[in-house]
Amino acid sequence: LNAAPRRPPRQQVRFLPTPAPDGGGAVELVPTRVPVLADHPLVRGPQYRRLKIGAGHRLDVKSSGVFVLGIGHGNKLLTDLYNCHLTKVYTVSGLFGKATDDFSDTGKLIEKTTFDHITREKLERIVAVIQGTNHKALLMYSNIDMKTQEAYELAVKGLIRPMEKSPPIITAIRCVHFALPEFQLEIQCLHETQQYLRKMVHEMGLELKSSAVCTQVRRTRDGVFTLDDALPRTQWDLRSIQDAIRNCRLKVKTELEKTL
Amino acid sequence: AMAGAVRAARPLLLLLLRRGLRGTAGPPSARQLREAEEAAPVFQYAGKAARRKDRVFVWGFSYSGALGVPSFVKPDVGWKKPRRIQPTPYRLETEEKISSAACGYGFTLLASNTTDITKVWGMGLNKDSQLGFQRSRRDQTKGYEYVLEPSPIPLPLEKPQQTRVLQVSCGRAHSLVLTDSEGVFTMGNNSYGQCGRKVVEDEIYSESHLIHQLNEFDSRVVQVVCGQDHSLFRTKKGAVYACGWGADGQTGLGHHNITSVPTKLHGDIAGVNIIQVSSYGDCCLAVSDEGEVFGWGNSEYLQLASITETTQVNVPRHLPFKIGKIKEAACGGTGNAVLTEEGNIFVWGYGILGKGPNLIETAVPEMIPPSLFGWSDFNSDIRVAHVRCGLSQFAALTNRGELFVWGKNLRGCLGTGRMEDQYFPWRVTVPGEVVDVACGVDHMVSIVKSF
Repeated sequence: LNAAPRRPPRQQVRFLPTPAPDGGGAVELVPTRVPVLADHPLVRGPQYRRLKIGAGHRLDVKSSGVFVLGIGHGNKLLTDLYNCHLTKVYTVSGLFGKATDDFSDTGKLIEKTTFDHITREKLERIVAVIQGTNHKALLMYSNIDMKTQEAYELAVKGLIRPMEKSPPIITAIRCVHFALPEFQLEIQCLHETQQYLRKMVHEMGLELKSSAVCTQVRRTRDGVFTLDDALPRTQWDLRSIQDAIRNCRLKVKTELEKTL
Repeated sequence: AMAGAVRAARPLLLLLLRRGLRGTAGPPSARQLREAEEAAPVFQYAGKAARRKDRVFVWGFSYSGALGVPSFVKPDVGWKKPRRIQPTPYRLETEEKISSAACGYGFTLLASNTTDITKVWGMGLNKDSQLGFQRSRRDQTKGYEYVLEPSPIPLPLEKPQQTRVLQVSCGRAHSLVLTDSEGVFTMGNNSYGQCGRKVVEDEIYSESHLIHQLNEFDSRVVQVVCGQDHSLFRTKKGAVYACGWGADGQTGLGHHNITSVPTKLHGDIAGVNIIQVSSYGDCCLAVSDEGEVFGWGNSEYLQLASITETTQVNVPRHLPFKIGKIKEAACGGTGNAVLTEEGNIFVWGYGILGKGPNLIETAVPEMIPPSLFGWSDFNSDIRVAHVRCGLSQFAALTNRGELFVWGKNLRGCLGTGRMEDQYFPWRVTVPGEVVDVACGVDHMVSIVKSF
């Protein structure tokens, strides 16, 4: 970053004594633009010594996916984005037949069960119930008076959302892949933690009269940032970061203006 | 040979000992963990042939006994208080699988289509013998006025071990039981002839043993519906018969008098094959096989205002709504709802119709947006499968087995857990897939399949 061309030094107007054009001893004061000595690179030193980087929504050690960071002034946008309460989309993979203490496949085994009675139809039924109860929780925690006309109109458009702290709510969930013993779900949620998603997988296993562990949690979207905007490990260099910031700037601005 | 075997066995023993010694020291390695996992016992909680169980859930006002849980009215333990209202679904234990349920004004009927001797159970108010004669255990000559538990109703069947009960229906103070081969049995109040028999002056209806059987129809009766004080019968040929009170024209026979014998309806439905009839208050709707809807009865709340200005219509009239082919209709006390083939619900009438607090009355059907029933881009195949009406509530069942209710929350009958009225469809959390729901004045009964 420090090797990039710096900001040109500030200019100031000073009255400098210059010898008069027609020679002789008389000195005249002529206004000229002169760079301020305080801005000289040798005086100032490298432009960036420290960078303030802030993190967006947490992503724990066992998960992967989109992780939003704010640099410098972007940190202030991070708090605004948090107050927008946008949904995040995860791809969660699970495995039937095992139950562990921390709900993931690296934990201590607690129980093994049979799972050949599970069909995709049963899983979809449980998924529909989860969606139903969470939809109800969404309406309840949004703290809008249900008797008003605006509440009705927002509910029709599906825009009712809790705008303050609330327990984790799943706004949409569906099964994308099912091949016993493993399955994959796409979950769209608010205010959640990855451990909550793992617990949800475990509870789904219990509902189906078997047990399940979560093998993978991957965040595919965080608010406005999708997998396409995210930089993989090979691209963690200055140029790509700068391009990515530039591309997302417009999206973030429109989203913030829409909500606040 | 023996010596050779012993010599070969010894190195094996040594190896095992060494392995055992190494394993006890230090944390278990990944391989040992895996082996321990594979050796763990496997539990089976449900086999491949695990079947889903059928359950009945009730909620609403319980002091009349209509919920069928005696501990709500008279707690079995001294320190417990009686529960006046059950705000969320409560499971009711039944002996048989219930196939049909109906809620009246303070009482409930549950019916099962078995060939056992007891096929119908009733609970709630019995002041007009709408649940038949329930002999009191304390005094053998008297009957119960309030039945707190589902009690069997003895029907005078000719072949009790062959006839099956198809459907039950309840009105304000009378009830109808439909069987497959022995016609319709009616019991309860008959002061307006709603039981299909001649009105007897000053008849005392409480503790009456009389159950009337109706058999004279043009073909087999396939659906029975009770209005507040009248009864409607739909036969296999598509004809509709009515009897009972007619002051609002709800019998549809062209006059405003009492009818005590089921008489066939004419008017716009003469010759039309009707596939469904519905009524709960004083207005009636009928749906034909072509998707047309016909209405008659009370129109004080703009239920039939789209075709007439009068407040009573005593002849069935066709309602020309251009909303698509209609599959099912449901009549409430002041509002009506129909379900179209695409799975949309249209409501009209007066009261809380389900489109927010601003829509109080309309004469023309208005559609309820499907997004309120869970339809979205994520799940675009959610459709409403059935619609039912209580006196001032509506209930809708989706094809996913979810129950949505809206309307006036009279004594907690909506089952949402709150006491406030609900102005747009709200999901009721039932632990299972809802197959059918019956709405009453202040309570509801649902038949549910477990997951």
